[in-house]
Amino acid sequence: MAKDGEKGEWKEFIWNPRTREFLGRTASSWGLIILFYIVFYIFLAGLFALTMYVMLQTLDDHKPTWQDRLSTPGMVIRPKADETFEIVYNIHDTESWDMYAQALDKFLGPYNNSAQAQKNDECVPDKHFLQEDSGDVKNNPKRSCQFNRTFLEECSGINDRYYGYHEGKPCIIIKLNRVIGMLPGKDGQAPFVTCGAKREDSEKIGELMYFPPNGTFNLMYYPYYGKKAQVNYSQPLVAVKFLNVTTNQDVNIECKINANNIPLGNERDKFAGRVSFKLRINTNTN
Amino acid sequence: WNTESKPNYGRSDSYRVATTQDKDDRSPKKKKGAATKDMDDLKKEVPITEHKMSVEEVCRKFQTDIVQGLTNAKAAEFLIRDGPNALTPPPTTPEWVKFCRQLFGGFSILLWTGAILCFLAYAIQAATEEDPAGDNLYLGIVLTAVVVITGCFSYFQEAKSSKIMESFKNMVPQQALVIREGEKVQINAEEVVAGDLIEVKGGDRIPADIRVVSAHGCKVDNSSLTGESEPQSRSPDCTHDNPLETRNVAFFSTNCVEGTARGIVICTGDRTVMGRIATLTSGLETGKTPIAKEIEHFIHIITGVAVFLGVTFFILAIILGYSWLEAVIFLIGIIVANVPEGLLATVTVCLTLTAKRMAKKNCLVKNLEAVETLGSTSTICSDKTGTLTQNRMTVAHMWFDNQIHEADTTEDQSGASFDKSSVTWIGLARVAGLCNRAQFKAGQDSLPILKRDVAGDASESALLKCIELSCGSVRAMRDRNKKVAEIPFNSTNKYQLSVHETEDPNDNRYLLVMKGAPERILDRCSTILLQGKEQPMDEEMKEAFQNAYMELGGLGERVLGFCHVMLPEDQYPKGFAFDTDDVNFQTDNLCFVGLMSMIDPPRAAVPDAVGKCRSAGIKVIMVTGDHPITAKAIAKGVGIISEGNETVEDIAARLNIPVSQVNPRDAKACVIHGTDLKDLSQDQMDDILRNHTEIVFARTSPQQKLIIVEGCQRLGAIVAVTGDGVNDSPALKKADIGVAMGISGSDVSKQAADMILLDDNFASIVTGVEEGRLIFDNLKKSIAYTLTSNIPEITPFLLFIIVNIPLPLGTITILCIDLGTDMVPAISLAYEAAESDIMKRQPRNPFRDKLVNERLISIAYGQIGMIQALGGFFAYFVILAENGFLPSILVGIRLNWDDRSVNDLEDSYGQQWTYEQRKIVEFTCHTAFFVSIVVVQWADVIICKTRRNSVFQQGMRNKILIFGLFEETALAAFLSYCPGMDVALRMYPLKPTWWFCAFPYSFLIFVYDEVRKLLLRRNPGGWVERETYY
Repeated sequence: MAKDGEKGEWKEFIWNPRTREFLGRTASSWGLIILFYIVFYIFLAGLFALTMYVMLQTLDDHKPTWQDRLSTPGMVIRPKADETFEIVYNIHDTESWDMYAQALDKFLGPYNNSAQAQKNDECVPDKHFLQEDSGDVKNNPKRSCQFNRTFLEECSGINDRYYGYHEGKPCIIIKLNRVIGMLPGKDGQAPFVTCGAKREDSEKIGELMYFPPNGTFNLMYYPYYGKKAQVNYSQPLVAVKFLNVTTNQDVNIECKINANNIPLGNERDKFAGRVSFKLRINTNTN
Repeated sequence: WNTESKPNYGRSDSYRVATTQDKDDRSPKKKKGAATKDMDDLKKEVPITEHKMSVEEVCRKFQTDIVQGLTNAKAAEFLIRDGPNALTPPPTTPEWVKFCRQLFGGFSILLWTGAILCFLAYAIQAATEEDPAGDNLYLGIVLTAVVVITGCFSYFQEAKSSKIMESFKNMVPQQALVIREGEKVQINAEEVVAGDLIEVKGGDRIPADIRVVSAHGCKVDNSSLTGESEPQSRSPDCTHDNPLETRNVAFFSTNCVEGTARGIVICTGDRTVMGRIATLTSGLETGKTPIAKEIEHFIHIITGVAVFLGVTFFILAIILGYSWLEAVIFLIGIIVANVPEGLLATVTVCLTLTAKRMAKKNCLVKNLEAVETLGSTSTICSDKTGTLTQNRMTVAHMWFDNQIHEADTTEDQSGASFDKSSVTWIGLARVAGLCNRAQFKAGQDSLPILKRDVAGDASESALLKCIELSCGSVRAMRDRNKKVAEIPFNSTNKYQLSVHETEDPNDNRYLLVMKGAPERILDRCSTILLQGKEQPMDEEMKEAFQNAYMELGGLGERVLGFCHVMLPEDQYPKGFAFDTDDVNFQTDNLCFVGLMSMIDPPRAAVPDAVGKCRSAGIKVIMVTGDHPITAKAIAKGVGIISEGNETVEDIAARLNIPVSQVNPRDAKACVIHGTDLKDLSQDQMDDILRNHTEIVFARTSPQQKLIIVEGCQRLGAIVAVTGDGVNDSPALKKADIGVAMGISGSDVSKQAADMILLDDNFASIVTGVEEGRLIFDNLKKSIAYTLTSNIPEITPFLLFIIVNIPLPLGTITILCIDLGTDMVPAISLAYEAAESDIMKRQPRNPFRDKLVNERLISIAYGQIGMIQALGGFFAYFVILAENGFLPSILVGIRLNWDDRSVNDLEDSYGQQWTYEQRKIVEFTCHTAFFVSIVVVQWADVIICKTRRNSVFQQGMRNKILIFGLFEETALAAFLSYCPGMDVALRMYPLKPTWWFCAFPYSFLIFVYDEVRKLLLRRNPGGWVERETYY
């Protein structure tokens, strides 16, 4: 009995035919409250839009307000395996390394000499390519320096379209994340990349070759002025070729940037100023 | 106070003394059906019939002998048959059950559900993902910790109260003097069996229900059973059909005040009248407290909102293409996000604070939830004796010189005094002081007179104290007037007289003083003392006497007449041998001096308290075991029947028409006799309770008190019962809140009660009501404050799911708000002063005025919460934008943003970010969102201070709240700037400007709510009030 009453109560609450109330409110009451909320939310949205607008007005178009989180630029390798930081393939299995070669092809496409020559300038090497604004007069758009694919020589994929993967001498390309206004290397000393093995793998890593020579990022590519001012900026690259890495074993490699004015990154951040990955070249035929 | 200084008629002693400690084994486990039948049976009146039997019949019934008593063999047999003469103690709840109740009761369920859902979500994640985020696990652990810690806290809080309770029990083993096989033996009271012949004397506790077979001046104090203040004399004659009123039955656990009696035990243990009441009490089921119901309602609302949001976004997530498992995780996440983690602790602390505050004002609350109950109370059923009155006979009026004089009956002698210069008064005082066997017990000279213990009869003590107060030492007076002869009071001649030497050593006459029933005294008088002059008693004086006698009697007072005479020296020379057995001296033709009337006067603070209750819309009903006249007089005295209100009988008397012709609707007040109550149907009972505002129930039995309480509850009232006697305990237990007296209350009543007035002051109830109402209002504010921040806590997650932006607020920061910064401000609202005079409004309607209603949710979630969320989001967008991520690129960025392998994510300026770098920015956003919530919560706590008034009217006098504002800010700053926080809680230092992002929103909240409250005040009952007044 009590349950029936409860059920009836619920029914009545959902639609009360006597007072014509739906969920405890009449149509006009629903109308009023919904109208109120619509107006209220429109007002809030407007206010929010206003504050956002004001905030956006305070921003500089070319340089973010804060860059303190980017004091140590990140380093990234190419080719990039999905989700993991490993390059693992079998020499005898073309499928297993072809994707790396293709990824590098794709990545290096914009660095073709022809494309670079078309868009960018040749700059004076070994010094920062400063293009300061003079006061309020913006010196825009800013020019960018060429970084030709041929700088990567053996790792450019021009002579060796498999980047050495097929012969067990793979190329890895390293780039330093873009940070607006960053001037790495003090006193004309260009930052350079060094790679080494981690822990017990030091014997396995074998000889390395860096392109451009010494693995430097030439100073002329800095500073970066942001994608709005410097549309065609070409990020400098360093290629590392592993000449005789021990095969059939995991080799843990860490590359890091050496520059006298880039602080050592946060301990927690494994990709600021350094990059680690695992290399394994299998040679078994089956 | 201490238990030592209890007044003469204190009842802190009780049946418990006779209670055995070996519990369980004896209480037979009955089937449920049998148990209910038992309860109904217990509610019926006492089935004793022995009082109507002759002594011989009783002896036959119990196979005993009037002289020899039981044989030892029979006694042993009966002992085995009936069990020991002790009460089954109420089943005590084991400590772990109490603890579990704290752990799983009420609000905790919500948190437990949340915790279980969290663990479930984590289990799903752990089973499906390789590297599950620990958030759900931590949240589950924190929720569990919160419930357990709060549970422990309230458990210890209540344990503290019950420890105070424990101290009330005084376990004195009790002895009884029985006659078995013709020999008097002292045995343990537990071994007394039905049929035992026992002897009691003044000062003893009656060990069982006995049928008196002989008595010598025996008087028993039945106050804890019937509520009568005066000791009742016992004799072998059956004087009344009702066993409770007849003279020849004395009851278990009452006290024999004076005299001796011998009787046959007719009931022992649980079968005694007292035992039936105790069993009835412990068998009563009590309902949920109002606040528990409110919290349940609140949980319903919150669960409704949580499930609604969860399911909506579950469907949205499915539509947006998330996998089922992800959607389930989101569903759980949203539901859990709705759980206000800190609220349980807040509510508990608020209630505890109030409980402490009340304890300071001498209201000890046994159960935390009962703190609020008094505030919801709409009816108070109060016992008279000891609660409304002092439970101490006091001289209230005197009639001499043909004039009624009023004595001071207040406890602290602050009342008005009368003219003490009259010679007649001196005469009267002399008679009252000399013809009086009561005397102060030794060693109490330092105590105020009214507090001193007296050996003797209640009315004689009253006279003694009255004379001592107005004329100085009675002992000195008695020393000056040495007593030479005395006839003590007996029920046949109804007077007491004594003969004294005079003060004047030259006067060799003897002074005869006499007191007694006024009409008997008058009969013996031929003259009357007027203004110190003896004048003949004429008809006119007799009529004046009659009027005064009637008037004082009508006040419910016990009237005594006083007379004296100077015995002529020639007939009674010095050394005359007065023979009191065969009276050889003059006992008539005396000189009438005056009348003195006594009453158990109301406590000083009671009329005021009753008035306050009345103006607070609380109906005060008197329920007493005492006589209707006395009850009515006290009811009028304390304002339970207010001035000008008449009962049906009063109207009939005024209009001089029969009672049956009076329209009962004309009478607002009514006095109902217990015997009439017995014949009333439930409907008639409801009718009385509904149609009379001022009700006095007199001569009620404990069972009837229970029925009255149930009647009030049936009409939807939340009932408080105050009482101190055993007879009140069933009603105390049944009531929504039972209030027992700490000093004079019996242990049974304290056991049954939820609250104890440590100073026995009825006025403390008013404090209780006030505190209860205040905490109800303030809890509303606290909850409104706490719930508001739920919206800025949930919306980030919703937007994270729907538009794929980086998560604006993480689990840890949410916990920092709920269990960190929000706590002190939320608790501080418990200290908020009332907005208006809460004692001037009606009690809340439990069906309509809810703790949390849709309007509160609408305001907190729909309006203020939304503004808060915008404030938080603004800070979030500011930080991301200033770091290079403009709002335009954020939508949909989440997949890459949360991908650990993407370490060159490009921002709006073309810069590239590693995973860790952008996560630091994200966590900085969490910190800023958190700080923004703190900033908007500043405004929220200020607007939550009031529900109707402007803050400018209310002021900022709540120091705890101001402290809370600083505390939460300092805590937020600490969490943001303390070194190591980045590792510990992943909170990062903010640039100073980011603190100000939410300021406009904080300001908006303040202005918006002030405007809302202004509209609300301007248009009472208008749309704004209907939709937003919570």
